[in-house]
Amino acid sequence: MYSRYGSADPVPHRMNLLRRAAKSARYMALPALGAAIAAIVSSMSRVAGPLVIREGVDKGIVPQDTSVITNVALIFGGILVAQYVSTRITLYMVAWLGEKFMMDLRNQVYSHVLRMDMAFFGRTKTGVLVSRLTADIESLQVFATEGVISVVGSTLMVTGVSVALFVIDPFLAMIVMLLMPILVAISIHFGRRSGQAYRQVRSQVGRVLGALQENISGVREVQANAQEIRQEERFGAIDQTYYQKGMAAAKTVVRYFPQVDTLRVVGLVLVLFIGGNRVLDGEMSLGSMIAFLLYLNWFFEPIVQLANIYNLLQGALAALYKLYGLMDEEPAIQEAPETTPLAPEVEGEIRIDRLTFGYSPDEPIITDLDLSIPPGQRVAVVGATGSGKSTLVRLIARFYDPQTGGVSLDGVDLRKLSFADLRRAVALVPQEGFLFEDSLRFNLSFGRGEMSDEEVWEACRAMGIAEWVESLPEGLDTPMRERGNRLSSGERQLVALARALAVDPAIVILDEATSNLDPGTEGQIEDALESLLAGRTSIVVAHRLRTARRADRVLVMEGGRVVEDGTYDDLAGADGHFAELINTWESSEQRV
Amino acid sequence: MGSREQWSEMWTGLRLIISGIKRYPRMTFIAVMGAMTWMVVTIISPYLQKLVVDDAIEGNQPNLLVPLVLLVLLVGLMRASSIAWRRWNAFKLSYSFEVHLRGRIFSAIQRLGFDYHDHASAGELMARSSTDVTQVRLIFMMLPITVANLITMAMVGVMAFVLDPVLGMVAAITLPAMIVFAALYSRQAIGISFQVQQALAGMSRLTQEGISGIAVTKAFGREAREARKAQGVATDIFDKSMSLARFRSVYLPWLELLPTLTTLGALWLGGLRVASGEMTIGDLVAFTQYLVILYFPLRMTGWFFAELPRASAAAARIVQLLQTPPSVTSPDAPRPLRPGGGEIRFDGVSFAYNGADVLADLDLSIPAGSSVALFGATGCGKTTLAQLIPRFYDPQAGAISIDGTDVRDLHLTDLRREVAVAFEEPFLFSATIAENIGFGTPHAERSEIVAAARIADADEFIRKLPDGYDTVVGERGITLSGGQRQRVALARAIVGNPRILILDDATSAVDAITEAHIHAELVEMMRGRTTIVIAHRTSTLLLADRIILLEDGKVLAFGEHQELWDNVPRYRQLLAESSPAR
Repeated sequence: MYSRYGSADPVPHRMNLLRRAAKSARYMALPALGAAIAAIVSSMSRVAGPLVIREGVDKGIVPQDTSVITNVALIFGGILVAQYVSTRITLYMVAWLGEKFMMDLRNQVYSHVLRMDMAFFGRTKTGVLVSRLTADIESLQVFATEGVISVVGSTLMVTGVSVALFVIDPFLAMIVMLLMPILVAISIHFGRRSGQAYRQVRSQVGRVLGALQENISGVREVQANAQEIRQEERFGAIDQTYYQKGMAAAKTVVRYFPQVDTLRVVGLVLVLFIGGNRVLDGEMSLGSMIAFLLYLNWFFEPIVQLANIYNLLQGALAALYKLYGLMDEEPAIQEAPETTPLAPEVEGEIRIDRLTFGYSPDEPIITDLDLSIPPGQRVAVVGATGSGKSTLVRLIARFYDPQTGGVSLDGVDLRKLSFADLRRAVALVPQEGFLFEDSLRFNLSFGRGEMSDEEVWEACRAMGIAEWVESLPEGLDTPMRERGNRLSSGERQLVALARALAVDPAIVILDEATSNLDPGTEGQIEDALESLLAGRTSIVVAHRLRTARRADRVLVMEGGRVVEDGTYDDLAGADGHFAELINTWESSEQRV
Repeated sequence: MGSREQWSEMWTGLRLIISGIKRYPRMTFIAVMGAMTWMVVTIISPYLQKLVVDDAIEGNQPNLLVPLVLLVLLVGLMRASSIAWRRWNAFKLSYSFEVHLRGRIFSAIQRLGFDYHDHASAGELMARSSTDVTQVRLIFMMLPITVANLITMAMVGVMAFVLDPVLGMVAAITLPAMIVFAALYSRQAIGISFQVQQALAGMSRLTQEGISGIAVTKAFGREAREARKAQGVATDIFDKSMSLARFRSVYLPWLELLPTLTTLGALWLGGLRVASGEMTIGDLVAFTQYLVILYFPLRMTGWFFAELPRASAAAARIVQLLQTPPSVTSPDAPRPLRPGGGEIRFDGVSFAYNGADVLADLDLSIPAGSSVALFGATGCGKTTLAQLIPRFYDPQAGAISIDGTDVRDLHLTDLRREVAVAFEEPFLFSATIAENIGFGTPHAERSEIVAAARIADADEFIRKLPDGYDTVVGERGITLSGGQRQRVALARAIVGNPRILILDDATSAVDAITEAHIHAELVEMMRGRTTIVIAHRTSTLLLADRIILLEDGKVLAFGEHQELWDNVPRYRQLLAESSPAR
């Protein structure tokens, strides 16, 4: 989950990224214009300060005219009011723009991710997706709010101060301006160097946190194997590298600021020496020189700030690049532009024609498979791990599209069905009963969306879990904790089955749980299963003998093909794979 | 929480921070001296500028201009080098302390027993070692400059009075007010940012869950509904962020404006005083420069004192973790484990967990080299019983011995090297498969690792992985299925050739066919080694020579399967309940 600290990808076409971001935020152009005007007023009012002081010194203090001094102070006060108001508006507006942009981005990215196909989730780690939606968008946050203010404010300040310097004394301004290219050059150099250094620090932080996380999750293994000291040494080495990277980054900072300070003092010396001489020669007023001294600080500060922002900008661009990259990925499974509607009453006939499929096209899992399942038939699919049985059932739920051939439901190819029709007709119960961290009611009615309590109870009764639900302290409102921790795996499975029943599908697809359940719930699940499967077409990936025995038809899969197909008794009697399988099962289950 | 407790908590945290200073006295001293030097030269500079304006320019003494300006240059260069000095040492100090502190936290976490980790949240422990440590580091980094800042402000105050007592009064009133204002601002802002952080954490939770459950969402076509959930969270983030923005937009300009207002006041009052001849222009210039100089130290000091309670709270949490004693530790004078075949004896062992009795006055003797299966209904204490042997927990009463030595007299390393456990839900580290198998036996040869993998029926699938035994698994590598993980863990348990082997339903996620293979191989492995199998299902019972039937924390029966089947009705009943072929 800490891949977000990983090294940042190179960011090509940064202008394209910014243009795309700006384009997507075009509807906010008017507020943006308002923010820009406020920012200009805010910078101008700041630049005006020393100019007013110059007036005060030259026309008030030096000629000792007290009324001018008071007037200047009043004008200065007025400028401060303008400065406060405009700064406040700028801060608020820019924050609003940035936050709105990110809110929209969060929604867009999340909806997009949900639309992606299962193959995408197979090849993309959860941690990566979580970090896109959290860390990456958050790294935009700092830039989109504080960063934008700094960039706009600093640029305006440098421009404003430069103009002011030229207005006061063009000659001295020219000389001070000579420092500008040097300052910019060392600032860019610093921005790059420290950017690299801090990226390395961040990715090392990721390693430190990853190691920590791992040791906390695996602390029992560490203790069981008496490896505490070795793990400490390992962790110490990782953390030591973090120290070194941190100090390397510190070095860039420690070099840069004295350089800026040296330049600043050079500027100060130039103003004092040249300015002083010019005042002595009567070519410049004392007030002008004092204003110059005041401006000097403001001239350096914004550029230093921009150098600091440079990293933020790089980080934001890297995040945008990753986010847009994600948004540009098209889901492989999409609804056809023109769909064929299913009849209101779905029969539940499945036909598979010459189907070939592999998660990567050059490694087929299922090869040239033909299969026809009449409505209402109960089919058990058995076979060793990797024989393709789980893949087959997922194809029927259109989690994947085959490379060649196809699956049809009541004579309509799955790819021509609308998603709504497909989900209404086919319910898949995955192996691990995944429950959402919400109430039991939410989980039971998940497949249908809105369900009245009456309907939920009806489903519970149909599954024979009504009594169990009533026994829960909060009934339907009982919260299901993360991964359904509070329930046993058997109870989780029961809820998952009831969830499927609530949809009333014509076809049920079930990937049976491999691990045995506690004695007690096992029988309950059997009963629930019976009520769910009754009167529906069903395809069950069977891991147990008993499940296969209850099916109308057994398919034995091996190497992506159906190698045996018949009733339980037929196959058990024949001297084939299934008979062998039964032997193994029996020896492990029944010898006791 | 009462305020007294709050103070004592804060004090606990402060003590940790102070202990850091004591740990690096030299570095701290150098860092503070660097900061002081920086401050002194920073303060001298405006005074020199005043001399330039007053004596050289106003006083019309051009010959003074060059030496004074050179002095300004010299002081400026000193300032530049002291900046480097100060910052470098502050970084070094804070990074050193951070790494030191995190090492201690890491050790503490590793040494706290199973009982602690059963209740601790991983997220909390992560927060201790990341955000809490970072908090302490930041405050630690600010420490030298804050000491220097405080001294500087006092000095500048004095300087201001020396320059002009009236203006000095202005500064004396406004400066402390600014610290208070900055501190209040930071404190409030920190509170609101915390709410923003919580809203952001909501997004992380939602995404994590949404993606974990994506198969269910897809299976029922509920993508739109899930997307609506995200809208709620995103709007919450927006609202919280905007209330922070509103707060900042009201108060942040004041932070900038206050010093400027002070400048304005100084210029106005000072201007009038210059006009009336009570003050020189140079004094006024120097005075306003001081106000500018003080701006950042003031804000920083305000920030420091606003952050300090938070950092001490973080430090207090760290101290609490560091001071939690591990429930299971090696004895001061451990005895060596006598050679033997792995005979295990429980004498009057009672064990309660979370206030519920699990084992009650249990006596049991497992002969050396035998294999037994622990069987019983859910919650009968079979896993607990096995976990007492390698001292994952200690019983409240009674004793457990291996080959005649009480397990509490052994060094934990010796004990756990001889007692290997394969957990039902094993954890694999982000390392190669070979490293994972050799985790407890770092000096194992590759051939030994492969042999162990063969017994666990893992060799075949491992060889098919992209890099075979050198394939990286875990968080940073490929994900293995539950059954594959269990097989790797099984290999890990047997590779060290332990005297006692505990299998906690270690093949529950393995399919029936593979399990049969493993069992056939394991029987070889178990020969001549005490093996305890925890059976949650019937097929596992077959692995053992004899069966211990547990009920209500006591041994109800101990014997061979047939014996129990014939004589113990409860055994028959339990088997019937879980029999697969009803």
